[in-house]
Amino acid sequence: MKFESQLQLQAYLDGEMPEAQRREVEAWLAWDPEARALLNELRQTDAALAVGDCDLKLPESREFYWSKIQREIRRLETADSVPDRSGVWHWLTLWRRWLVPVGGLAILTVALIWGAWFSGRPNSLEVVLTSGNGTTYRDQARGMTLVWLSFPAENRFPEDELDALLFY
Amino acid sequence: MNARGILLKCLACVAVGGLALTSPAGLRAADLKLEAQLIWGTNESRSPNPKHKAVQAEIAKRLKDLPFKWSHYFEVNRQRFTVSAAETKRVQMSDECEITVRQAEDGQVELVLIGKGRRVGKVVQRLPRHELLVLGGNAPNFTAWFVVLRQAD
Amino acid sequence: MASVEPSKTASASAVLDDMALVQAARQGDMAAFEELVARHRDKIYARAYSMMRSEQDALDLSQEAWVRAWQRLDQFQGESSFATWMTRIVINVCLDALRRQQHRRAESLEELEEEAGGVERFMPVVTVNPTAGLEREELRTRIDAALAKLSWAHRTALILHSFEGMDYKQIGQAMGCSLGTVMSRLFYARRKLAALLADLKEERTES
Repeated sequence: MKFESQLQLQAYLDGEMPEAQRREVEAWLAWDPEARALLNELRQTDAALAVGDCDLKLPESREFYWSKIQREIRRLETADSVPDRSGVWHWLTLWRRWLVPVGGLAILTVALIWGAWFSGRPNSLEVVLTSGNGTTYRDQARGMTLVWLSFPAENRFPEDELDALLFY
Repeated sequence: MNARGILLKCLACVAVGGLALTSPAGLRAADLKLEAQLIWGTNESRSPNPKHKAVQAEIAKRLKDLPFKWSHYFEVNRQRFTVSAAETKRVQMSDECEITVRQAEDGQVELVLIGKGRRVGKVVQRLPRHELLVLGGNAPNFTAWFVVLRQAD
Repeated sequence: MASVEPSKTASASAVLDDMALVQAARQGDMAAFEELVARHRDKIYARAYSMMRSEQDALDLSQEAWVRAWQRLDQFQGESSFATWMTRIVINVCLDALRRQQHRRAESLEELEEEAGGVERFMPVVTVNPTAGLEREELRTRIDAALAKLSWAHRTALILHSFEGMDYKQIGQAMGCSLGTVMSRLFYARRKLAALLADLKEERTES
């Protein structure tokens, strides 16, 4: 069975299908035992999930859990209303005359150390994705680096193409 | 001499020393000969496009060794080109897909993928001989595309 | 936001419904908000845990969700229950965290296999109901163990669909992916879950 057909069965089960296509799937189910078996499996899985989540209890006391939330709320509200005179930015403002030469020296030092470190490594991988999501995989044995991008075809399935996707 | 003067002198010494250490001639590569392939992955045994060819056996084996759902791979386009040290090479792989390749720092290769005129992603890494750099993504109708870059013989 | 000064006692807040507590909290009543937290904390923590599979992450992110809720109380208009609204917040907080985690590491081959798809077409159909005869709590435990074995993307799609009742479009919006991806992830998650539950049934039968 094609993957697309399997997804049709799922969409049928989930009620994500117009009525006309539902009847087509029902006609298909009438003669195809493989399709009926898969649909039945999906139904059983849904039935199992219908019992719901585990009933988890928060592993902290009410007061302790709340105290952290309350502290964070107060911290954020205090930060919004009062200029920070004790933080890093205030210190930097005072010492800005030294910031450029000292900062430049620090950056140069880091760059030298970084470059020396990388020159000894067999391979470095920098993946910068300008849009979408990516998954990187390195197979040393096969000598292959694979970068799997969720672009562009993922975004080629807008709603108005869903019908064509499901019901061709 | 005041503290500022001493600091600036130190900075200058470090800068000179750093340049001496980190600009080895060996890092400047010669021309790099590369091959890029645009490949289509599908479960269909035949491609509807008669211009598609069978993927080279070596590439096909490496792709099939991966646990992807596609059972067949077709070569849409293959381009061989040379990238010199100071150049960014732009290669059209299809109507909608192009790549740019340049030699980056530390012996690495920078590959930028452009889809429909928009930058999709950039990968920078070393590409030793016989290794593959593969970008992949989903294509319509649950197929997939791959751009495979490697050093050419 | 009004200054934070509680004006109601905890016992007074306990008799108010959620909407009344929200309205009081909007005026800066911290005790009212604390009562909301006490009422719904288990559910919110459980949702965070089901997504993150880490007690510490679930604690941190559920608290972050509560703080975010405090900042956005004005946005709650009662079109859904407070619990539902709060659950959506913690889901978004967890999804943000999962995306940050994903970008920080290259994934293993197994996880890539899940994302790219493939194994579900090889899975034999499970024909025997793997949950027959199980007590409710035992079934929940089995399902929870099986969910832990899915990748975050597949687990999240299944949670949003089966536990939160979202449709494909809503899941796609929440997860920032296409409908096709939602359907693939959901399908993989269901088939993998069926296989895992069947394996567990076999182990139980043999023992």
